[in-house]
Amino acid sequence: MSHPLDKPVSTTRAVRQYDLYEVWGDTIDARHLILAIVVGAVVSLGAYTIGLWVLSHLVESAQMAKAYAMLFGILGCLGGGAISALLFKPKRNVVEHVADPAFRQQVVNDLLKEYGSLGRLEDTSPEVAAELHELELYELFREAQAKEERDNGVRAETDSSASPNLALNGGRP
Amino acid sequence: MMEGLVYDILIALSLGVFGAVLFAAIGLVSGTDETTTLAPLTMLVVLLGAPPAGILTFFLAGAVAKHMTHAVPTALLGIPGDTSATALIGDANHLRKLGVPHVALRKMISGGAVAALIAVPLAVLFAVLLAPFGDIIKQFAPWVFLCAAITIAYFSAGRWAAVLALIPFVLIIVALQTLTAQYGVKLAVSYFLGIAVAPLITSLFSLLAPQERERMRRSEFRTFSLAPDMKGWSGYFPNPFKVINRRQTRMTAMAASVTSATFVFSPVAMTVIMGELIGARIKQAYDRLTTVITARNGVTESTYIAEALIPLIAFGLPLSPVAAGPAAPLFNAPPRFSVDSATGEVNNLHNFLNNWEFLGYGMLAVIVAVLIAYPFTMNFAHQAASFVSRKISHEAVIATFIGLVLVVGIWEGGLLGLLVIVTVGLLGGFLGRFLGFNIGVQFMGYYTAVLSVPAIVALSS
Repeated sequence: MSHPLDKPVSTTRAVRQYDLYEVWGDTIDARHLILAIVVGAVVSLGAYTIGLWVLSHLVESAQMAKAYAMLFGILGCLGGGAISALLFKPKRNVVEHVADPAFRQQVVNDLLKEYGSLGRLEDTSPEVAAELHELELYELFREAQAKEERDNGVRAETDSSASPNLALNGGRP
Repeated sequence: MMEGLVYDILIALSLGVFGAVLFAAIGLVSGTDETTTLAPLTMLVVLLGAPPAGILTFFLAGAVAKHMTHAVPTALLGIPGDTSATALIGDANHLRKLGVPHVALRKMISGGAVAALIAVPLAVLFAVLLAPFGDIIKQFAPWVFLCAAITIAYFSAGRWAAVLALIPFVLIIVALQTLTAQYGVKLAVSYFLGIAVAPLITSLFSLLAPQERERMRRSEFRTFSLAPDMKGWSGYFPNPFKVINRRQTRMTAMAASVTSATFVFSPVAMTVIMGELIGARIKQAYDRLTTVITARNGVTESTYIAEALIPLIAFGLPLSPVAAGPAAPLFNAPPRFSVDSATGEVNNLHNFLNNWEFLGYGMLAVIVAVLIAYPFTMNFAHQAASFVSRKISHEAVIATFIGLVLVVGIWEGGLLGLLVIVTVGLLGGFLGRFLGFNIGVQFMGYYTAVLSVPAIVALSS
């Protein structure tokens, strides 16, 4: 609402010329999909039929000829897929970036919600602590842990007015 | 004698290498479900006359390699690599947003390697323990399948809705079989493929319906953020036990052992449950997150191995969601392998390999897959994810699967085969979407129709 002139972020000319739909978990262009299906069908069935015809002359057992023809057919599927991949480019934006610090904070918050508590770094084995140091995540979890303990302390203070002495330092190291 | 063994091992080794390389590549492409890829290709290997040991190594090496490389899109792009990776996406996204997707990836594949190595001997052991009950189970096979179908349906997201939905679903499969029989066509793979590609078939139908189409319309490309490349070790083959710590190894081993025994449940469900159980015991958030993701990917490996091997070794009957789906050609690949519905008589890998061979070739397959997929993923994950997301369009993936549906359908039953795939796919897809009647239940529904219904009919007449 605060953006009255809201526009799609990346409506480049390239995107606008497509008729996009989400099918089976990813975006496709309707016209490209139809053409790809036709290519896939023609190449795979073509390979199978040719395989069956050629092999029925070469191989004596009709059963084996049919089994080998299926091999041709499956290679045809891959061929059809490869041709479609060459003809139709993916409709994806692939961005390569290093994780944002704000993202990291959000993950920590998500984990706190999901698990109920972040636990204590002091409880981990030296190997895990070393791994966290190496990945430069130790400080992130240490701060989050301290914050969680402070918050719990505050909550304990407001919750248990009956025993103020206990609540005052409750949860704090 | 000796030469024969060396020959068998060489064939098994080369088919194992082939399976591992092929499925390591397929695993990189997200949306490639295990059943749609493993089942038809294993079927092909069976029908082309590969020796039993080679069939086993091809399937197992393929499954193990795929469940390692499926970590690449899951960890780096935030899209599940396949069905079993959906259970890992939450943990993987947390680690990705923390800026350490490489940690998620390495922990996942190291956990997978550890679990796969543990699962084979344990699965063989459990199978040997269960084998004495084999004769009884074979005798009551139709009823065992009925009970298994109801149990698996009840434990799916749909609960009682899924149990009740079994009735119309089974009825339709029986009806379709009666129909095709009139034309002298007997189908099996078509049903599996229909069930496995159901979400794609329903999506394409929805796209044709104006109202649904509007709901699916997008104004922009979908954005994926690809995690940057970070390499934290030297050499080509990092030691998995250095990537995951001792507790993570212990937890993964434990989860793999437990899930090697619970072979009748769906792999995705077991992956979720084991993650929750382990997570509840670890207090520190980062420690919990990394340990859970390690163990969970381990479970995707161990459930697949155990669910395929235990029923195969102990009974020769496809009595688990994996055995009934992706591993189905190991049990039933007419005319070479078969399961007789009336007598419970089986003629498949169960008869062709003994326990020691299952153990030996199983370990061979896992070791080959680990040696190929583990270092590949460790070293080239970023390049692979970048290539797949920038070069392989979703249209191309869909075209490949449509091709597969056409070829397999026409190959097995001509136009009738194709119609069965579409019918079963559309029905199964909507039942799955609206009732939580998932793919594992649908596979068991197929076996109920084939094995239990004739017994019920015989009993009531």
